[in-house]
Amino acid sequence: MIIRFNPIAGKCGEIIEKLMSSPDMPKDDSLLFKIRLSIEEAVENIVRYAYENGDGWMEAGTMLNGANLIITLRDAGKPFNPLAKEDPDITLSAEERKIGGLGIFLCKKLMDSVRYEYKDGCNIFTMTKVIS
Amino acid sequence: MDVKITQTENKYDVVLNGRLDTTNADQFLKDINPLMEAANPDIEVDCTNMEYTSSQGLRMFLMLQKSVGSKGGKLVLKNMKAQVKEVFDITGFSSIINII
Repeated sequence: MIIRFNPIAGKCGEIIEKLMSSPDMPKDDSLLFKIRLSIEEAVENIVRYAYENGDGWMEAGTMLNGANLIITLRDAGKPFNPLAKEDPDITLSAEERKIGGLGIFLCKKLMDSVRYEYKDGCNIFTMTKVIS
Repeated sequence: MDVKITQTENKYDVVLNGRLDTTNADQFLKDINPLMEAANPDIEVDCTNMEYTSSQGLRMFLMLQKSVGSKGGKLVLKNMKAQVKEVFDITGFSSIINII
């Protein structure tokens, strides 16, 4: 299933719900929780930061490959590798912890793999979760 | 996310109901503003019916913890669902916010 959204500004909630209603999604609540959270973080990143001067499109897809659920997000915004950022230091105290920077870290922890590539003028972010 | 706050002097009982995500985090921040403004708050948050939090929600809890900590107040989150607790655990928030 691939859905194209245009424009995407302010559509975070709608994009998440469309993806979560894909027939490729598992039934298990615990898996759905992790998948929804990862999708929310990745989608929000794109909606907020991909198109700085205006708005643009995003393609969101799900597919099954054996036991793997593969979620792919594609946009034509500025090239940005969210995985290049250093993980937050989770051993710091509340006073020392910075606000933010947890979204993509959660994707990395909750999914089995995350991948980024820049190809043909597009950011492509792919997340895979073993669902059986 | 529905937020109910009951105040008795500096003691705040907060009940959260629903999902805390990117669509309602800004409203949540407004809802908990009285807790940020309080001088020496003793805050207990009942998370029994909190179904979900994203990083946006975590951001709000960290802001609240920082605010309360800087004023010598107390913040306790209780009755958190296992799935939500896992998000706090993964991000190290379980060691900076008191969860019972």
